[in-house]
Amino acid sequence: MSSDERTGFLYPFIDADERDSGALLADLAASAEAKASASSALQTATIEREGDALRAVAGAMAQRFTAGGRLFSFGNGGSATDALTVAALFNRPPEGVALPARSLVEDQAVLTALANDIGFEVVFSRQLIAHAAPHDIALGISTSGTSRNVLVAFAEAKARGLLTVGLAGYDGGELATSDTVDHCLVVRSDSVHRTQESQAVLAFELWRAVQVHVGAPS
Amino acid sequence: MELGGLAQDLAAASLVLARRFAAGGTMWCVSPAWPAHGRHVAVEFVHPVIVGKRALPSVFVDTDDVVADLRVLVRPGDVVLAVAGADEPGVASAMRRGPAWGATTLWVGADTRPAAGAADHVLWVDDDTGLAPWSGRFVLLYHLLWELTHVCFEHPGLLRSDDAGACEDDVCITCSDEGRLAEVCADPTGGEARVRTAAGIETADVSLVEPVSAGDLVLLHAGSAITRVPG
Repeated sequence: MSSDERTGFLYPFIDADERDSGALLADLAASAEAKASASSALQTATIEREGDALRAVAGAMAQRFTAGGRLFSFGNGGSATDALTVAALFNRPPEGVALPARSLVEDQAVLTALANDIGFEVVFSRQLIAHAAPHDIALGISTSGTSRNVLVAFAEAKARGLLTVGLAGYDGGELATSDTVDHCLVVRSDSVHRTQESQAVLAFELWRAVQVHVGAPS
Repeated sequence: MELGGLAQDLAAASLVLARRFAAGGTMWCVSPAWPAHGRHVAVEFVHPVIVGKRALPSVFVDTDDVVADLRVLVRPGDVVLAVAGADEPGVASAMRRGPAWGATTLWVGADTRPAAGAADHVLWVDDDTGLAPWSGRFVLLYHLLWELTHVCFEHPGLLRSDDAGACEDDVCITCSDEGRLAEVCADPTGGEARVRTAAGIETADVSLVEPVSAGDLVLLHAGSAITRVPG
């Protein structure tokens, strides 16, 4: 991202006098294609590398759901929105079996109450204290692998007997090494954007695999 | 994965979006069926993940009435971005009102495309499985929109080559004979009504198109509403 944005040398009129947008538009389109290819290649590589782990996680998640468990998803920023998407996918799937899922980023009153009264590091863990039962699943997303509130939530989830599943970027960060995370699926990239795109694919494939386990027609 | 025509569409949309931001516009994001995507777009622009990139005013509007909320929030020069299927009625209506509000419209979606001209920029994923909102395709699309928009900021000379949106095409809709889209602000009295156009609020003769009421869309020509337009 940072290197291929420095394309100024390609343009003779980089200064404020530049008027012809044709060259820029062509470069933008080419850049979009290149980034989409990179995203696609990373997705393929990630699914290949994490395929076995993904199938294992899906099997473990399906057991939890079958036993009456629920999924709690969480993350920050773009990962918070991706946590919302995952919860909606399980809860109200476009096809297959609806499985109980909820995102812990959903309720502004709870988030602001916890952040204001205690601190942002507990906004997910305190919700798990209130809601979680041993059959449940905690799915935390952190592109850095170091988000404090995600790690704190995993510690709480693990102590309560939940299945803990992490999605991380870079080298996996603390998420990949923490003994409170049962399964950590890592997207090996240092681009937050490309990582999130692959994490979305991982979450989607996880949902698909769980659907097969719980008996939905594939 | 090939983007095909979507790459060009993204390029054009990014440049226009950068121009609106550069001129002080705000981007309003709606996504009735998939609110998480609308939120993701908004947070992407407001809080860039790459240090040093400027924070841009982008807001997710959580609403059960897209038109009612955007009508109040949107100002001339703003952008409305929807992540929604082509069959989302509130979104389609908001997109049609864009020219009357002075807003540039971007419509992100998948599967069956909206009718031609349904929005200024249609950014469509060619995927008829119904799974595009869930499989990461949308995430890639709006990440690219953000990345390309910031490339445009490196070209300041190209950020001020048009006005707030009235003259996007070869024909300038504010000065040609085509007519200007207007939204009726209040029920008419005596054949006249206050109407909203990209240029602001004005009084128009609506006697030719009555009955009209608040919220209806009309086409203005020389101070008169000459036809009604489906809203």
